[in-house]
Amino acid sequence: MHTDGNHIAGLLAEVFTGELTAAVRACETCGARRPVGAHRLYAGAGYVLRCPDCGDLAAVVYERGDGYALSLRGTWLIGRAP
Amino acid sequence: MPPISRGFRSRRRTGLDPSRVPPGQYVTDDFPVLSAGPTPHTPLDQWSFAVGGAMEAGRSWTWEELLALPAETVTVDIHCVTKWSKLDTRWTGVSVDVLLEETQPWGDYVVAFCDGGYTTNLPLEDVTGGRAWIAYEFDGEPLEPEHGGPVRLLVPHLYFWKSAKWVRGLNVTDTDEPGFWETYGYHNRGDPWQEQRYWGD
Amino acid sequence: MAGAAVLGRLTWRVATIRDMREETARAKSLVLDVPDWPGHLAGQHVDVRLTAEDGYQAQRSYSIASAPEARGLELTIERIDDGEVSPYLVDEARPGDRFELRGPIGGYFVWHAGLDGPLGLIAGGSGLVPLMAMLRHRRAAEATNDARLLVSAPRFDDLLYRDELDGARITLTRQAPPGWDGFTRRIDAEMLQAIWPAPGARFYVCGPTPFVEEAARLLVGLGHEPAAVRTERFGPTGG
Repeated sequence: MHTDGNHIAGLLAEVFTGELTAAVRACETCGARRPVGAHRLYAGAGYVLRCPDCGDLAAVVYERGDGYALSLRGTWLIGRAP
Repeated sequence: MPPISRGFRSRRRTGLDPSRVPPGQYVTDDFPVLSAGPTPHTPLDQWSFAVGGAMEAGRSWTWEELLALPAETVTVDIHCVTKWSKLDTRWTGVSVDVLLEETQPWGDYVVAFCDGGYTTNLPLEDVTGGRAWIAYEFDGEPLEPEHGGPVRLLVPHLYFWKSAKWVRGLNVTDTDEPGFWETYGYHNRGDPWQEQRYWGD
Repeated sequence: MAGAAVLGRLTWRVATIRDMREETARAKSLVLDVPDWPGHLAGQHVDVRLTAEDGYQAQRSYSIASAPEARGLELTIERIDDGEVSPYLVDEARPGDRFELRGPIGGYFVWHAGLDGPLGLIAGGSGLVPLMAMLRHRRAAEATNDARLLVSAPRFDDLLYRDELDGARITLTRQAPPGWDGFTRRIDAEMLQAIWPAPGARFYVCGPTPFVEEAARLLVGLGHEPAAVRTERFGPTGG
């Protein structure tokens, strides 16, 4: 069972030093444009975010002892801080 | 030093023989469900398992044919890279050695491929010599879908992401081809006793 | 947008329990003192981290229940039977106890009174927590947006914030008390259509994953814009 991107908001904020769940991702497979918070989150060896419409991989993110590993797919629109 | 929360106790077990707990792990009585995607559901009458790739002769089995193969029940400890270990887990399945009989593989590596698209790579020697099974029962009951049923790979001496859920076959390869987690930075082999969690470890 | 939604580096702070309040047999609200708390938006959550004497740590996320205007940060925790953290917070913890807290977190599942348009809130079980923060904020800000809340719970005694549910639509899915005149079934299109007969609301749906996905699917099926339906799924986060 999955939850959603809201669960890793804290982790993503650590990695990016900023809030990511409101960022919109354009899926390169199905064209959907959905916020990160609406993406499906699976917890495996690390975290996997998937497009809520087509299940396509959107991100893999996890903590390692020496930092974080991150893989992003699709186009992420990350807003500027005001 | 973070503040101690008075009275908070973890539910991990303590007082265990340290030779059973790899470095950085804690022992739990739970069986957490982890996955990289949704649980697939292939009807058993459409299900098959295959071995192929860098070998003389590939083979495949239907569900009934798999159940007819000689099976064993083993009790093993399992170790997840997310730091939990579960001791004395009981599984029933077919040894990978039986599945590879007479296939004469010439490659040194294997990729397990699964419903839902998950893959993981391992050295061939880590799934042979009595070290790996295709398991269809856990604790005497049919393996539940959320834990990988109908069938998962079981390679208890490596981190449990190598014990691929919903496995549909093994492809022998002559080069080491990173699977899902390995592509995203997890270790190609994953020996918990050497704490091989991530690339670079 | 208030500055609380956009963060610099998140840091762990020490929260002290100031007060506790029983909401149901399984849930308590914790009122916390958090030094230098920067403020928050309704819908945001915090990460809570407990450390045991042997150094073992466990971390969970909890939605903020209090309005940004309230004094004292409030969380509402529902005990999960074989959980590791919630039984401690609900049954063991007492005023004066401390734990680490990080936040506020979240910029997607948030609402503030400056956003126009009607508010549609759909809660499954403890999914009511962040939605109640939105309603409490709406009241404190004296906002005039039309707001409708639908809560789904197994039984009457499972309902959180019972004395703040005047005007809410409630469906009890397992057992209803005698004389109950609310709904008594799982949410369906007919129920949602009766409460929201026309599109135009901003929806916030929160609760267990199957509930949230069903509600979102039903709303879109009734013609509500997908972008107007924000979701927050509660559930286990793996090992």
